[in-house]
Amino acid sequence: MGTVITKIPWGVLLILLPLMGGMACFLWPRIAKILGLVLTFVGVLSVVGLGWQIMSNGVYHHAVGGWGAPLGINLYADGLSLLMLAITALVGFGISVYSSGYFERQHSTRFWPLWLLVLAALNALFLSNDIFNLYVTLEVMGLAAVALAALTGSRDALSGAMRYLLANLLGSLSYLFGVALLYHGFGSVDITTLAVQVKGSPTTWAALGLIGAGLVLKTALFPLHFWLPPAHASAPAPVSALLSALVVKASFYILLRLWLEIFGPLGGDVDTLFGVLGAVAVLWGSLQALRQTRLKLLVAYSTVAQIGYLFLAFPLAMSAGVMAWNAAVYLALSHALAKAAMFLATGNMLRFGGHDRIADLDRVVQRLPLTATAFALAGVSIMGLPPSGGFIGKWLLLEVALAQGQWGLVVIIVLGGLLAAGYVFKVLGQAFTQAAVMHESRAVPASMEWAALLLAFGAILLGFLATPVLSLVGIGSPFGAHEVMP
Amino acid sequence: MLQWALDALLGLGLLWLAWCALMSPNLLKAIVLFVAFGLLMALAWVRLDAPDIALAEAAIGAGLTGALLLAALARLRFAYADEETVGSPAQEEAKVRFPQWLPAVPLLLVVAGLGYVVLSLPPYATGLSTEVTANLESSGVSNPVTAVLLNFRGYDTLLELVVLLVALLGVWSLDGLALGRETAPGPVLDTLSRFLTPVFILVAAYLLWVGAHAPGGAFQAGSVLGAAGVLLLLAGWRFRAGLTELPLRLVLVAGPGAFVIVALVTMLMEGQLLEYSPEQASILILFLETTATFSIGATLAALFFGGRPQDDKEHT
Repeated sequence: MGTVITKIPWGVLLILLPLMGGMACFLWPRIAKILGLVLTFVGVLSVVGLGWQIMSNGVYHHAVGGWGAPLGINLYADGLSLLMLAITALVGFGISVYSSGYFERQHSTRFWPLWLLVLAALNALFLSNDIFNLYVTLEVMGLAAVALAALTGSRDALSGAMRYLLANLLGSLSYLFGVALLYHGFGSVDITTLAVQVKGSPTTWAALGLIGAGLVLKTALFPLHFWLPPAHASAPAPVSALLSALVVKASFYILLRLWLEIFGPLGGDVDTLFGVLGAVAVLWGSLQALRQTRLKLLVAYSTVAQIGYLFLAFPLAMSAGVMAWNAAVYLALSHALAKAAMFLATGNMLRFGGHDRIADLDRVVQRLPLTATAFALAGVSIMGLPPSGGFIGKWLLLEVALAQGQWGLVVIIVLGGLLAAGYVFKVLGQAFTQAAVMHESRAVPASMEWAALLLAFGAILLGFLATPVLSLVGIGSPFGAHEVMP
Repeated sequence: MLQWALDALLGLGLLWLAWCALMSPNLLKAIVLFVAFGLLMALAWVRLDAPDIALAEAAIGAGLTGALLLAALARLRFAYADEETVGSPAQEEAKVRFPQWLPAVPLLLVVAGLGYVVLSLPPYATGLSTEVTANLESSGVSNPVTAVLLNFRGYDTLLELVVLLVALLGVWSLDGLALGRETAPGPVLDTLSRFLTPVFILVAAYLLWVGAHAPGGAFQAGSVLGAAGVLLLLAGWRFRAGLTELPLRLVLVAGPGAFVIVALVTMLMEGQLLEYSPEQASILILFLETTATFSIGATLAALFFGGRPQDDKEHT
């Protein structure tokens, strides 16, 4: 039994199955929903298989075409890739269950092919070990994400998606320019080869700047977040969830990977810059979230703030290495679960009341108890209260910041949590009160309520799994073998 | 000396055309200038000894992108026929708040920095060309570009074909206006399309075949096929009703679909994704390129057409 599981090439299946599924959904729209649900569930099983394989055989390698780097493309999965694939599969399955109840017939036939292709691109991205191949996966993911963001065809959605498209293309162009410079300078696009060859030179600096700027734009770090709130707030609920939970994490993952392997030793001042921008993002995003009167925009600005936290790890990692990166990964994973749950819960409230004005939420707690619970639990993780994944992430980050005496960052981390509590309770407070005007309500399918609730439970559950998750991420030591600072 | 003058003329001409295209207040003029820019760019690629890219630039960069832009402009004019200006009020506001030269300052700094870096690069970088040459024998083709695209890095090309499919899915999900059928083609267009279509198909077939050992290949052949499709659509030809559903979608998916299936089968036979055995490599590459050519041609023509073909049927 064990040998059969370790022999199946799970990593490759994670890419090929959703690719074929996306095309099949396009060819035969009638079976799209069933096929989408089955394939996202098979995706969860495949990640389990890959995890088994990695735990028994060590890191996963696959030389596409049999050529091997530098001529061919290598696939590679260590603990970090595995965790990103796992969170993608889990959140992806939740989104699929939710979407099966959410979309009307016409939008359903358009949603499933694009969604499966985004999933294929995400899996391909987390498995790639080649900076040009990463660019191609970014293109598939970005273009499909833009199409999904525009799905409703409303005026807001179209202008939000257009802005998203332009930001995305600019980011890709900048990234590709950097790739071209690295290839010209060092004769390879394989990450492992480049890691050995790259040294400080004007070429490397320019590539670092271009690739960094392109990926930061795609990850929506302040002040390059301008495209995120309109795009994420005007998309259909499951699309907002996948954009905020997974798509922005993908470009962050590439940045992290390239920093760890190639640019890390060169990027001293850039690390500090990332830290400063991250800190401003935490404050600015949280304050903007507090100011919003529409629920979806509030949740979208909360994403801007939470992305800021991920970048706080860069200046801390200069001397704390593994521990700071662990914190960033933990925050990324728990934010993926919590934010997906939050957007899905928001979608339920929007469907129920026909609007998302925070002031008129009208006793959601009594009328949609599961959805309100999902929102509250996701809020607990976003605020960083125990027990939740968000708490572990922020705790690790706080510990590193305290150990290094970075008092400014300590204040930012705590203040960001307080502001998050402010905007989460602003919503929950209104959910208990009766609105001045009564609204007609529309039933919400149970699958949509449960999908949101289970994802929120996942974010809480992550708070109890710190030891196994942190030992998983260490497989193949993606963060190097630095000693942890006492 | 003459070559220097030619290159300088090319470079300055490119800059001049780009500037004019960006600055032109008339959208139609801007598009025409953009097409001219693409053609000159193709010449520049020829001067840089990259005939494959030159072909792709001329066919896709200048030809089909130009046609797509013109199609978009025609729809803009149709959609805004009642309103006096096409520009939205938001753009007017932005103009008042920011001086136009302000973005130029950081842009010039970036250009200066990148210019310095590019000048500091070694003029010749071998890159991976020695590895490519060493393995060309077992790749199944003798054109190194095709060997890289379809064999060494075939996985990238598979995903690129998916990008094209995603672009069409995106356009189709927008409920756009399909190309109207009210204009009857003039006698010139009608006759021309009858003469040119067979020639285009022949050229596409030649480019596809020659790609194995000389510049050419699926992308170039597909864009020529797409151009034939555009010409036919302009001349008033439409898909027959029964063919717009599954048969059309099958053609659109054929390229990436065949690629994925080959990837899966080769993995089962040889152990690695897209690993061809040297004996079968050339026939597999020809198969993949043929399906890709049909898909690329159909996708490009469908992009030009705009909305889903069945929507067109419903409207009329």
